[in-house]
Amino acid sequence: MKIRASVLWLLAGLIVAASGILVLPGTSYERQDRDATLAASSAMHRAGTDALGRDRLVRVAAAFLLSLAGAVVASALTTAAAAGVGTLAAFGRASMGWTAMLLCDVFLALPWMFLLMMVRSALPLTTLPAQSAAITFLVLAALGWPASARAVYRGALQLKTSDWMLYARASGLSGAGVVRHVIPNLFPLLLPQFLISIPAFVMAEANLGALGLGVGEPLPSWGGMLFELNNSPMLMQTRWVYFPIALLVLVLLLLEGVAVEA
Amino acid sequence: MKAALAVLRWFARTLTILLLVIVGSTLLVRFAPGYLSDAREMDNRYATEARSQLSAEAARSRSLPRMLLGELRGPLRGDFGISRQFAVPVSELITPRLAVSGGLLLRGMSLGWMMALCAALFSTAGRNPLLLWQAPATVLLAIPTAALATFCLLADSGGPVLVMALLLAARDFKFLDHALRRAWLEPYVMQARAQGVRTSRLLVAHIAPALASQLGALASLSFVTALSALVPVEVIFNVAGVGQLAWNAALNRDLPVLLSVMLVMALAVTCSGMATPRKAEWESA
Repeated sequence: MKIRASVLWLLAGLIVAASGILVLPGTSYERQDRDATLAASSAMHRAGTDALGRDRLVRVAAAFLLSLAGAVVASALTTAAAAGVGTLAAFGRASMGWTAMLLCDVFLALPWMFLLMMVRSALPLTTLPAQSAAITFLVLAALGWPASARAVYRGALQLKTSDWMLYARASGLSGAGVVRHVIPNLFPLLLPQFLISIPAFVMAEANLGALGLGVGEPLPSWGGMLFELNNSPMLMQTRWVYFPIALLVLVLLLLEGVAVEA
Repeated sequence: MKAALAVLRWFARTLTILLLVIVGSTLLVRFAPGYLSDAREMDNRYATEARSQLSAEAARSRSLPRMLLGELRGPLRGDFGISRQFAVPVSELITPRLAVSGGLLLRGMSLGWMMALCAALFSTAGRNPLLLWQAPATVLLAIPTAALATFCLLADSGGPVLVMALLLAARDFKFLDHALRRAWLEPYVMQARAQGVRTSRLLVAHIAPALASQLGALASLSFVTALSALVPVEVIFNVAGVGQLAWNAALNRDLPVLLSVMLVMALAVTCSGMATPRKAEWESA
């Protein structure tokens, strides 16, 4: 519990620091300083600049908040979908449960990286950066629910055969009443699913972005900054290009720490 | 009779899943907003040709049932369509690359498993603190595959096989460590240890058979993880495999190639998943 509290405090500190950097007057993640491209750390640019002269610290702060917000929203959607499908499959007719689990199998049979690439490449050429960010996380949410739904289904089946549920149903409880009582009892199962999905989605976005298929420029993203590592001259000029990846690993460790503790 | 029925059900379920994958992927691609657009349209030299190809594609896919039938019939005859980017049959592009990716997967998975097994055995059998083994695995899991591959490339140490092996070893170690820790505490194993049975004998005769089904499930899960890591690893190390082909097709909006690669991958995942009934248990572990 102590570790979880420390990890949460650290994460909160990072969020406050990133927000603070972004609200400072005169900061913008897309403003270019053409006299200082690929610059090292200085008083003006604390973590240097990228190949286009954009402040790396500001971009990292924006990427961190964007990625975290996107992953949290995607995770919430995934968990809600998993709760809905899992509960319906367990409490609905047998055919409904069978169909839902078959659907889960179909989704689990599709390697997510290939499916993500296919969906991203099928977007119109005129997709705006903000739209690409939203679509990336929505696609992640749309692909992430089956594994969680399976876990929820098993938990809901156990609840269905529990003594209190049998008694409640025998007393005439049905439909919405059942769902109202089941969902709160599934919270201990849903919370870890929600927390586990967040680092997984952050990681997926980073991997997709590193392949040039994630959030579109000029919006900053972890994946976009990993893409910088392919630029060898930049690596020779400044070691600050490693800053985003170091922070990403720290954030992922913190998020995984929260998930494991849950 | 029971076994035959079980095998029959296994086949029926696998076929149903594959059928649904084909139909679902085709519908997803066909109704994607960018399906009838091509990067070549932006280049005057190729725009006319690209537009005529796209209009032919639009005419072909106007009747949905006919299009689905074509998509189902094609793979059965080994015809996966024509690549938009290279204008050659997709099967010609995929077949030689399958061998390259297969070799990479096989070597990566073998090395990864060996590393994970050794680490788990040392971690559970010795008196080392758990953190000594857990910490590197946790850190490795927090590094995106693309970043790990780039670091190895920049440091000029280790190739695609090592990156894949490290990724799989870190993931599998966590499961193996957990399973072995439980196995060592089983009453019959503790009894055998108390009676002085050698560790190697315990592992071979008692622990390995008890964990066999779980190890099979873990192997299937490793395969799925390795497939997802295939794309960044092949792209960054410039390995001419299926992952690199899919990435190239995604960047150039070559949807017939992407769709075919996905079908091949779905077939591989379904076959590996169906071989192990306890896969779901591992996934929810």
